[in-house]
Amino acid sequence: MSPAVRWTGLLFFAAGVSVAAFKVVRHELPLSPSEEQGPWQVELTVTVRGDGQRGSVRAMLPATEAGQRIFDERASSDRLDWEVQERESGRAGLWSGWLEGVHEVVYRFRVQSRAVDLPLRGAETVVEIPRAIRSLYMKPSTTIPSSAPSVKAQILDLDLPPPSDPVARIQTVFSFATHEIATERSAAGDVLLTLDRREGSPDGKERLLVALFRAAGIPARLCHGLELADGARPVPRVWTEVRLASEWISASSVEGWIGRRPADWIVMGRGTLSAVEASGARAVGHRYRALREHLRADEIASLMAPDDPVLSFLSLYRLPVGSQSLLHLLLLLPVGALITALFRNLIGVRSYGTFMPALIALALRDLTPAVGLALVGGVLAIGVSARFGLERLRLLMVPRLSILLCIVVLCVTAIALTSASIGSRDWLAGAAMPIVILTMWIERITITIEEEGIREAGVRVMWSLVIAAAILPVYQSTQISYLMFTFPEFVLSIVGGLVWIGGYTGFRLIELLRFRELGQEGVSR
Amino acid sequence: MGVLGINRRNAVYTLGRNPRHLYPLVDDKLATKRLCREAKIPVPELLGVARTHREAQRLVEQVRAFDSFVVKPARGAMGNGILVLEWREGELYRGPRPFAEADLTYHAAGIVSGLYSLAGHMDVAMVEERLMIHPAFGALVVDGVPDVRVIVYRGVPVMAMMRLPTVESAGRANLHQGAVGTGVDLATGRVIRGIQHDRRITRSPDTNADLGGFEVPQFRSIVDCAIRATEPTGLEYVGADVVVDAEKGPVILELNARPGLAIQLANGAGLRPRLDAVDAWLESGEVDRPRIAERAAFGRGLAADTRP
Repeated sequence: MSPAVRWTGLLFFAAGVSVAAFKVVRHELPLSPSEEQGPWQVELTVTVRGDGQRGSVRAMLPATEAGQRIFDERASSDRLDWEVQERESGRAGLWSGWLEGVHEVVYRFRVQSRAVDLPLRGAETVVEIPRAIRSLYMKPSTTIPSSAPSVKAQILDLDLPPPSDPVARIQTVFSFATHEIATERSAAGDVLLTLDRREGSPDGKERLLVALFRAAGIPARLCHGLELADGARPVPRVWTEVRLASEWISASSVEGWIGRRPADWIVMGRGTLSAVEASGARAVGHRYRALREHLRADEIASLMAPDDPVLSFLSLYRLPVGSQSLLHLLLLLPVGALITALFRNLIGVRSYGTFMPALIALALRDLTPAVGLALVGGVLAIGVSARFGLERLRLLMVPRLSILLCIVVLCVTAIALTSASIGSRDWLAGAAMPIVILTMWIERITITIEEEGIREAGVRVMWSLVIAAAILPVYQSTQISYLMFTFPEFVLSIVGGLVWIGGYTGFRLIELLRFRELGQEGVSR
Repeated sequence: MGVLGINRRNAVYTLGRNPRHLYPLVDDKLATKRLCREAKIPVPELLGVARTHREAQRLVEQVRAFDSFVVKPARGAMGNGILVLEWREGELYRGPRPFAEADLTYHAAGIVSGLYSLAGHMDVAMVEERLMIHPAFGALVVDGVPDVRVIVYRGVPVMAMMRLPTVESAGRANLHQGAVGTGVDLATGRVIRGIQHDRRITRSPDTNADLGGFEVPQFRSIVDCAIRATEPTGLEYVGADVVVDAEKGPVILELNARPGLAIQLANGAGLRPRLDAVDAWLESGEVDRPRIAERAAFGRGLAADTRP
């Protein structure tokens, strides 16, 4: 290794480490995730299109309450006016102004949530429910027709326990809605239709539950929220809150729980309005994104707004959620490249393609290594057999490669269908399979088999998969992902390591085996 | 132990001694051929060239007059894509399997598409005369044409290896396909020892003849030819592949800017002491632009000094 290489490598390595050390010491950032169950970062993007009329977009905003703490709220308004309305019925964000062309407005917040556990228990004494609550949450409305004859008849039919036992009354109504009404995503959301057909959409089913409670004289309301999951889009959820003594108890007739709301369900708002509504607009659409952070709230705060302006500019935690998700992934690639260089230049294994194993591992990162490697192996086996079949047709290269591409796409489609029908997790969630890489890989395996024999091809495929399998745990590690995202300066350190590997002119591990004989002779002479 | 490893070869010799812009001269066999012809170094006769798919179809007509020839990609690597057709029986050529003219066109089209080229780019299919094996090799080889790889460093031959095609390598002189590599003493032209698949052997796997002591015919001319061929390329670390044709004597088959390292196993000696000796000699000031004969002599001396 020449001095220039040694010092250049050291420079990069030290640069990365010292910036990270500075952040650790000065801003007391932990080197490993301090909080596995850290806050969620949630982002609502609303796209609204108008043709020059005045209009507005209204979105439910979450509030800090039992089970969730909302902080770090920000909004961008894209030429519109933005205001937050705090009402009895809940918080709402309002973007208003002249709707001209497409506006994209964003509201983001962080939420620290935990499970809410209010078991359905009988109170010592029957508490009189305040008039205000009775007047708000017991009245029939057009979307919750609790005074409709069929709803009333159903309550009579249920033969509820006496009002002195409110717990048993709630339970009877809840188990009717949970067990007697089927959930069907495509079914109607109308309460009366749902009751009549004994089948409804999740929304319709929860509305029916609220209507039944109200008809039975128990205050109840509809709750809108999100179910958050790492690495997946948040799922909008609707559930019911029913009044027992002085508490609102959460219940979901769709999911079948009552009393305990899971930690990853957060409340966005209450009432019968939709989560996002627009007026004066030609079209409106919205989507949610969420990302779990693995730091305590105060640590995130110090990362988002460090008192040092340079660090504050460089902090990745202030970026939109989409960019953050992408960067979480991209910043892992240098680690994969480093491992690849270790295998290729220090160990000296023969594999296919420089970054192919790293990219394959990226595509498989949501899977267990066994399933992932089996899938890739399967696609390769099918592709190579197909390629040998194609050989007989003597096709020109570009069309032939294109046919292989089609076969790979079909294989991936088959994987998606299989995973859906055996009810497994979504195997294709996250990154798309690197179709083009697989295609070129198949072509090169086939040529190796023809030119150098199946043994050589097998060895190279095996080593490629070994490298991919070595990189996979790195991609799946929360610790490493956290480290690279919080301290992106480590990319510089990796560059330093790569400079060192690149300047290493010593033997590769495999060469020691290969030239072993010459070495022994040298010793014996 | 003085063995040159791949990291060092890449960093110090190929990256350090061979300017990248000169690579096309040796990566493209047509360019090498042109270069050698201008320098009056013997090369196999060019019978036909196809640069497009259309020309690939016409290639058959161009070579119909010949019964045996070799089809190869101009920018192929490690012997991939080379097709040797030995004679013709009616409609079919005898090759690794019987080849009809349509098969030949398909193979040439594959070459033109870049199937075998180093980077997968469009390539040129070339047809060369098939060289005739020198009778001296008959004792060692059943099928195919042996060649001699000479590593020439800064114009000085430093190590040589004869490569013997075997039945296993299907007549090709590539070590990783199962050909036998034998170290050749630069001073005497005699075989030192043999390897197959990086393992030591003493006899030809096909004819069972003893490898040790075999004397490579016209060895001094081979080395001379190798030195002269590397001269016009401007590259300083080159492997020159020379074939001894029964009639023409040594001809340059191709040049390689990244010659492999198995030659050390075949010779039972490392390259590093020899490369260092060449550097020391050329930088000592003892010699100024040594002539080819002087360099060949230095190479013989190197081999004698490091003889096991």
